[in-house]
Amino acid sequence: MRNTIVSLISIILGLIAGGLLMLFIGASPIEGYTYLFQGALKNISRIGDTLATATPLIFTGLAVAFAFRTGLFNIGAAGQMLIGGLCATAVGLTFDLSRPILLLAMIAAGILGGGLWAFIPGYFKARFNVHEVVSTIMMNWIAYWTVYYTVPAYFKGGTETESQLISETASLKTPVLSEMFQGSYINLGIFLAIIAVIIIAFIINKTTLGFELKAVGFNRHAAEYAGMKVNRNIILSMIISGALAGLGGVALYTGNASSIQIGILPSQGYDGIAVALLGANSPVGVFFAALLFGILYSGTGFMNAMIEIPPELANTIIAIIIYFAATSVLIHRVLNKFRKTRSNANDVNGPVGKKGEA
Amino acid sequence: MKKRKFGLAMSLILASGTLLAACGGGDDKDTGSDNGKKAEKIGMVTDAGTIDDKSFNQGTWEGIKKAEEELGIQSKYLKPAGTTEAEYLKEMGNLYDAGYKFIVTPGFKFETAVFKAQDKYKDAKFVILDGNPHSGDNKPVVKENTVAVFFAEHESGFLAGVAAALELKEGEAGFIGGMEIPAVQKFNWGFQQGVKYANDNLGTNLTLKAENVLYQGSFDNVAAGGQIAAQMYDRGVDVIFTAAGGVGVGAINEAKTRGKAGEKVWIVGVDSDQYEDGKYEGDKSIILTSAMKKLDNVTFDLIKRELDGDFPGGETLVFDAKNDGVGLPAENPNLSDDTVTKAQEVFEKIKSGEIKVASEQGSLFK
Repeated sequence: MRNTIVSLISIILGLIAGGLLMLFIGASPIEGYTYLFQGALKNISRIGDTLATATPLIFTGLAVAFAFRTGLFNIGAAGQMLIGGLCATAVGLTFDLSRPILLLAMIAAGILGGGLWAFIPGYFKARFNVHEVVSTIMMNWIAYWTVYYTVPAYFKGGTETESQLISETASLKTPVLSEMFQGSYINLGIFLAIIAVIIIAFIINKTTLGFELKAVGFNRHAAEYAGMKVNRNIILSMIISGALAGLGGVALYTGNASSIQIGILPSQGYDGIAVALLGANSPVGVFFAALLFGILYSGTGFMNAMIEIPPELANTIIAIIIYFAATSVLIHRVLNKFRKTRSNANDVNGPVGKKGEA
Repeated sequence: MKKRKFGLAMSLILASGTLLAACGGGDDKDTGSDNGKKAEKIGMVTDAGTIDDKSFNQGTWEGIKKAEEELGIQSKYLKPAGTTEAEYLKEMGNLYDAGYKFIVTPGFKFETAVFKAQDKYKDAKFVILDGNPHSGDNKPVVKENTVAVFFAEHESGFLAGVAAALELKEGEAGFIGGMEIPAVQKFNWGFQQGVKYANDNLGTNLTLKAENVLYQGSFDNVAAGGQIAAQMYDRGVDVIFTAAGGVGVGAINEAKTRGKAGEKVWIVGVDSDQYEDGKYEGDKSIILTSAMKKLDNVTFDLIKRELDGDFPGGETLVFDAKNDGVGLPAENPNLSDDTVTKAQEVFEKIKSGEIKVASEQGSLFK
């Protein structure tokens, strides 16, 4: 409850700050926000696009949040996405199976790829205490160059920088959904995301594993003292986190897009950190935070096209909203301080009052 | 640390916001005095990289800006969040919904997106530079509302190679490319042929070693561009031809630093005349010359033809030496008159077909 309030406050603060910037550059905030939300939700096809934009963010948000619960800061979601996407694309391009089996195989490949990519930093953390922030970032670049080499060498498409397009059977896009959302690029990824949210929420809240992971996150030494296998839990947590990010890659490259591109780290990897923060590291929170990000990202272009501001500033406005939204930690602190000073004031006043009375 | 950097970036952006706001005010007045005449709305979606990439996006945008000044159109560019087809299509849709029905897309990455957009938005017009719309199978489908534009980069690179060889007489040359994509490769191959031509026919002795021809792998890694250039210069390279967007900017910066320290190093720029970008210590510039690809002219011309009702829809246009679509800058302060004259002669020969520049690798490096 408290988390929800904090998140809402940060979103409102973000919107106010963004509005101030709009005022500052001579645009009307009301107009701006109207176009922003129209751009994201004006018609059914735009709603579909917004959901599709949010899908990879749900996965990366979950990935970061899940690792965070174990006290691990997984900054490598971008690289795990890339590898997950690469594995899924590779399976999709190589095998000619019936659609359900192929899709399942691709999803499994994505999970394995992302999981493997996070297993390595997890193992290093557990075994050699190598800080995961450093190793996951390094893994990002290894993923980047792996894709850079693999795609043109084995899956070269029409141009040097992209893989072949996956066939329709291998795409998460389904005609039913596309028609329902009038040509939007929404795809089965969103359902995968919802399932992932439910499963992760279940693992965190209802299982022994979740309890142990959280215990490690709260206090590694206490958990160890209590007889938990801390190292195993760290590795496991990273693998699950990576698998989630890998699924995000599957959704991005075989759902939203139909090919994988070289030379680019998906920005969703880093946005996942903000999503997780805003969602207070809870799966349901992450889900809604990702939807908000989806709205912001989808609406920017339309807002930008409709009002007279340079695109950099449109992106700045979004960045400001996100920045404030991600400062929920700060707001927590301010609230705490507020409460403390109030209770301190009571303490101080108390004796003084008594003295006065006396 | 990250937050502090972000804060710094934020304050910079806010500061620039003030400046831009001032500019914005000016623009408003301009449109106000338009006598109610409805201005044509021209939109652009940027490729990977920023609008000031000194290369592709910038060249295209400059053409649109020129049209705005001279033809009184209204313009807007959108920067997609990523580089997937879906994101490109989304921004095209945004432009379309906002009334921008003439959309310029720079770069072959737009090929499949434009392929879909030309059907989806039948009453809009599309220009794709350096690419052909296709469905992913490389079979070009240019619909009535689309124009595909190609450039003969190899001819431009050839001229730059000749000019560099003529000016330096002897020494060593290098090449830094961005991604290994056709447009960049053609620059490279043309440059190598140009150097060879000058060595064989014009009595120069500029060598080009295989180790000094390489592709960095991106168009935005400025730092890597600087490092590669530093290595090449340390190996004794005198002039580097960069066809690498932001990576080239890094190379230019490195060359400027060396120029200030008194070293004699050169860069051959690409796409637009980069002379101004290479300036150091007042009016000296390390840009020897530039292998130009006149994106701005072509964009401007197409907008003009659209306004005149003469949009060449359905056509695939190739810009080469014959129609002055590629070439060296008109002014080359770092080239001697002799070099300029001889380079001009070579240019005429390419025009007349006397010199044929191959657009394939053949026996060339990389």
